[in-house]
Amino acid sequence: MIEVFLQVLIGGVMLGGLYALVAFGLSLTYGVVHILDFAHGTLLAVIGVIASLLYLAGLNPLWIALILVPCAFAYGGAFYFTLLRPLGARRPFESTVGTVLVTVGALLILSDVTSVLAGATPKNIPTRLGVYLIGDVVIPRMQLAILLATALLTLAIHLVLTRTWFGRAIRAVTQEQVAAQLCGVRSVWLRTMTFAFGAGTVAIAAVLYVLTYPVDPYMGFGLTVKAFTIIILGGIGNLPGALVAGILLGVAEGMTGLYWDTQWAPAISVVLLLVILVVRPQGFSRKTA
Amino acid sequence: MTNPANLSHDDKPDAPVHAGLQPFVYGSLAVLVIAALAAMPHFASPYMVTFVFTVLIAYTLAQSWDWVAGEMGYINLGHYCFYGVGAYAFSLALASHTTPVLALIWAVLFTAAVAVVLAFPLFRLRGDYFAFATLALLPLAEILAYNLSSITHGADGVMLPAHNVRDLTFVLAVVLSALAFLASVLLDRSRFVYTLRGIRNDELVLETMGGRIQSAKTRILVLSSGFAALAGALQAWQLSYIDPPTVFGLDVALIPIAMALLGGSGLLWGPLVGVLVLAIIQQWLLINVTMFNATVYGAIILFIGRYMPGGILRAGWARALGAAYRRRTGGTATRGVAPDGPDEVHGAAVAITSLPLVPQAADRQAVVLDCQKVTKAFGGNIAVDALDLRVHQGEIVGLIGGNGSGKTTLFNCISKVFEPTSGGIVLFGEDIRSLRRDQIARIGVGRTYQIPRPFGDLTVDENVAIPLMYQDTRLRPSAALAQARAFLDYAGLSARIGSLAEGLSLQEKKALELARALACRPRLLLVDEVASGLTPAEVARFTRHIRDMRDELGMTVIWIEHIFSALAQVVDRVVVLDHGRLIADGPLAEIVRDERVINAYLGSAHAEDGHAGA
Amino acid sequence: MKTRLCLTLATSAVIGLAVAQPAAAKLGSCDDPIVLGTTLSESGVFSTLADRWRNMTKIFAEEVNKRGGIPVKDCNKNLPIEFVIYDDQSVPATAVSLYERLVSVDKVDFLVGPDWSSIGGPVPAVAERHKVPIVMANVATPSIYERGFKYVWGTPAPVVPRWSERYFDMLKNVDPKPKTIYFVTEDNPVMKGITTVWSKKVEDQGLEVVGSEMFSSTQKDFTAVLAKIRSQKPDIIYISSFDGASVPLVQQMAQMQIKAMDIHHTMLTGSLERQVGADIEGWTGELVWYQGVKGDYSDLIDTVLERSNVDMFDYIWTLARLNSYLVMMQAVEKAGAVDREKVKAALYRGTFKSPAGDIVFDENGFPNTGAFTIQLQDGKAVVVWPKDVATAQLRWPATASK
Repeated sequence: MIEVFLQVLIGGVMLGGLYALVAFGLSLTYGVVHILDFAHGTLLAVIGVIASLLYLAGLNPLWIALILVPCAFAYGGAFYFTLLRPLGARRPFESTVGTVLVTVGALLILSDVTSVLAGATPKNIPTRLGVYLIGDVVIPRMQLAILLATALLTLAIHLVLTRTWFGRAIRAVTQEQVAAQLCGVRSVWLRTMTFAFGAGTVAIAAVLYVLTYPVDPYMGFGLTVKAFTIIILGGIGNLPGALVAGILLGVAEGMTGLYWDTQWAPAISVVLLLVILVVRPQGFSRKTA
Repeated sequence: MTNPANLSHDDKPDAPVHAGLQPFVYGSLAVLVIAALAAMPHFASPYMVTFVFTVLIAYTLAQSWDWVAGEMGYINLGHYCFYGVGAYAFSLALASHTTPVLALIWAVLFTAAVAVVLAFPLFRLRGDYFAFATLALLPLAEILAYNLSSITHGADGVMLPAHNVRDLTFVLAVVLSALAFLASVLLDRSRFVYTLRGIRNDELVLETMGGRIQSAKTRILVLSSGFAALAGALQAWQLSYIDPPTVFGLDVALIPIAMALLGGSGLLWGPLVGVLVLAIIQQWLLINVTMFNATVYGAIILFIGRYMPGGILRAGWARALGAAYRRRTGGTATRGVAPDGPDEVHGAAVAITSLPLVPQAADRQAVVLDCQKVTKAFGGNIAVDALDLRVHQGEIVGLIGGNGSGKTTLFNCISKVFEPTSGGIVLFGEDIRSLRRDQIARIGVGRTYQIPRPFGDLTVDENVAIPLMYQDTRLRPSAALAQARAFLDYAGLSARIGSLAEGLSLQEKKALELARALACRPRLLLVDEVASGLTPAEVARFTRHIRDMRDELGMTVIWIEHIFSALAQVVDRVVVLDHGRLIADGPLAEIVRDERVINAYLGSAHAEDGHAGA
Repeated sequence: MKTRLCLTLATSAVIGLAVAQPAAAKLGSCDDPIVLGTTLSESGVFSTLADRWRNMTKIFAEEVNKRGGIPVKDCNKNLPIEFVIYDDQSVPATAVSLYERLVSVDKVDFLVGPDWSSIGGPVPAVAERHKVPIVMANVATPSIYERGFKYVWGTPAPVVPRWSERYFDMLKNVDPKPKTIYFVTEDNPVMKGITTVWSKKVEDQGLEVVGSEMFSSTQKDFTAVLAKIRSQKPDIIYISSFDGASVPLVQQMAQMQIKAMDIHHTMLTGSLERQVGADIEGWTGELVWYQGVKGDYSDLIDTVLERSNVDMFDYIWTLARLNSYLVMMQAVEKAGAVDREKVKAALYRGTFKSPAGDIVFDENGFPNTGAFTIQLQDGKAVVVWPKDVATAQLRWPATASK
């Protein structure tokens, strides 16, 4: 039975890595730029669909990523600059409302255009990387690769945010924009860059996701909700925290399936979120008030 | 009192020509529209009836959502949950042969109970956290609907009796929407809406003025959930079959919210306009356009969000239309338009005794405030350290000390913004340990804040009217607003009546803080640094106010201040704090010569860095 | 005030829409085409189940009309058919409103579709109320047909009670005989229905049910389920699930090297095959009809599918939808008139032809459609049972055994 437990544990960790990956870009855009982006998951799903089509056209996943990441980067930057940035100048209430409407509108547009142009049926990139076998325990290579990629990405971004001038400037700008500008920080450019960067990571996440699971244009919002759950659990602005939270969530779901009932596994994330929010209303953010 | 030369046309208070006739005209129009709608099944095609039915349901959802979001400022992204819960409660009851009326009542009661249970944990959250938590409720509800299949029939869904209820549910939907609108109108005129709006702006301050915020939040959530539940029940009844994705689907959950926001959240007509615009556009696209109709729909929402984020009704062109219309009909005033007046506060010579405040009998022996070894620690940082302080009635006590010496923290402990880590505070002979913040206000504590915290999107008179309404529970809003004027005149803000509080200058905001604090009818007034940033003349005026409060009304005042000249004119004694500890307590003349005070705060001639005060 | 402006605008808009009526054909006239009204879930969550059906529907009408249309005895001539199609956006309330529109504004003669239980639940009430015969397509939940409606039929294929009939028949004839079976079911009414029916029936032929697990449609991690299966070592693993939802399950089964005499999937589709590739090599499944298998109207259907670029193996729900059109056409022909009551009588307990065999309705309007058993051999789906229509020999044990 210990093997079953181990297998479920490993499976959960892998799944969690994927969850963290999905939450990743949102960690940046929400955690750093404080934009509530409802279209996050849909962007991931749409890029996934495009990736699968490029695969059918004959490109291999590496090339696909190399093409899609800059495109997403440009899209993210343009999206922020033209649509979201001007809202920042409005009163807080209007800024929030405007962001909600803009991102909901983007969600509808993205899923519909994709559905009409590429079809709505699920697509993926079939891969056969095989597995590692440790005794009786199976570790799929693809998912291990995803976990490692997510961990590396998290570490990289975390270092950028804490050790480089760029990273400090971004954090300064989101905490106190005017003061940062007075110190010579070009805040508009920085926020645009961050959002663009966030979109770029969504592209990486999308390619990795679609190598494992199928995507369709309408699954995005469900992913967005899960991503929000993870960044809350991990602490807003805390990227390594989001990785840990994602993994914990994956394991929790697996354990629920093993010891209780697989039907309830998807509910675990929500229940955990609600419990944690009630017990610790300010979340786990390391930021001080 | 007021200076007519400084008031523009738009600032004139409500005085339409046919004031008495208006409710009657509007009422009749409303009845006509509702009757016309209810009669639709007789003259319109069944298609129109079912389409308008979906519009009415969407309106009920959007409007009920907006009470919590627009008025109170809590964006409940899981509002659709109440719709689904109501739909299921009704359907399960109806499927087990309960009569429809009872099933509807059950749907409301059950959903309201769910709302009460959820209110407790949810309202501990603020802002974005609240939004996320409520968003997560939808997938949870869907999973519960799937998994609790012994109750909900899981994925099989609930089959209702297949009677023809299309017209009946339509008429009921008309009634429900009319009630939702009526509820909005009544809410808009009630005292309760001011509590909601206060919460929207600054719920902590509202609580310290006497607002019972937890009860208010729960009540409005219950009201909101009840309407949503009925909308769900009626929709389920009309469909005669529901399953989990139909009522808890994420894809449709945001639409009523987008509709309310699109029209203008927080406005009486906002949700209705938003629903009509989007529903009609969507239906037109559905019928006439075969491809990309969701794209067009999304583009419209995106466009409005980018260019008119306050909603259609708040957009520049809409306002201009409305203003033009009003000018032609000589209608009522708009709220919140600031006149181009000078920035200083006007020095109106109004006596404090003209305010509707009851003087207290002076009793120098009575102990108003008794702090017994009060300690407040934040982790390792001890902000207030075993403080003993006694203040008698009618005293004006100055409270001084360096930055971070614990002065504001002490105030926060007295008004229960913080709970002391140890020690006791007795106010007017009562231990405050078991009191809530709003109860502290009601026993007679008022305060101003170091950085003014007015209710920004309300007018100055509304700001003052709110505590007045808490102090006198029978006061109607119009009467409270009238009374507020007296306080504003006293504070020298008569020129700003009708202006939004957030548009005021710093000095004006401080004057507003004082007026609002007075409106709390305090026996003990806590004043936190009003003088900084003011001209000497204004400082003198404040000082006069404070003396009047004690002399004419018998109020006790504790005044945190750095500007000695101000304190010197009125205080009976001065209390000095240093790093949370009380280091001196006595008349001003003694304090300034006290060795410890000089070292800690005042600074001597040869002190290097010196703890020189502000 | 703004009040009055708003009220006036609102009322005018509503009344304006209410009064607007487009031109409509007369019901039962011999000079107009036979108009069939339907909605498709072209956007929203259910649109993930099929592509290009609108075009397919239009091409169906073209091809039928090319072949002469429908002979209508009372008119002494053939009439062409025409479709009015709306997108219900996967929202049941929208579908209800659109079906009302089809009947009361577009004034169609008969109704076909919709698909999917969520929408097929509420819509029949509309048809019943207006006394318009409706032949629904992919609405498989039997309880929807048991509400006492007189104007409602459906052509889901295969139907739950007959879903794996041929497969279990085949199992009686294989060697070595399987003894144990494990059910893995997606939480979905159709799939649960299949498991409920067939887990009972298999006991009659000597198969022991050694386990039954359910999973939710969005589940991604199946290690717990698979661990349980592995420990039981069943001869047959029966997966009752939509293709998309089972992709992670299938992949993880391959990764964990779960073996059995046969792994049977109730929806072995081209879409699944594209996503998991060789993971399902050797698996058996069901297919309602296979392009190339001859039957009634198979020429018509072949042409329609080819012209509209819809592959039955990719979108296995397609034949059910096309069958609803075929049934309605034949019903009008049988009735001899474009008359709703006569068509209703013709549909009642009627027998109709389709490429996959005859469709016989019971008194509730529920059909008896079955499916062929297929197997994935070398990446291609072949029919292996019944023997008389098989296109290839069954490979048994189907997958590499334990």
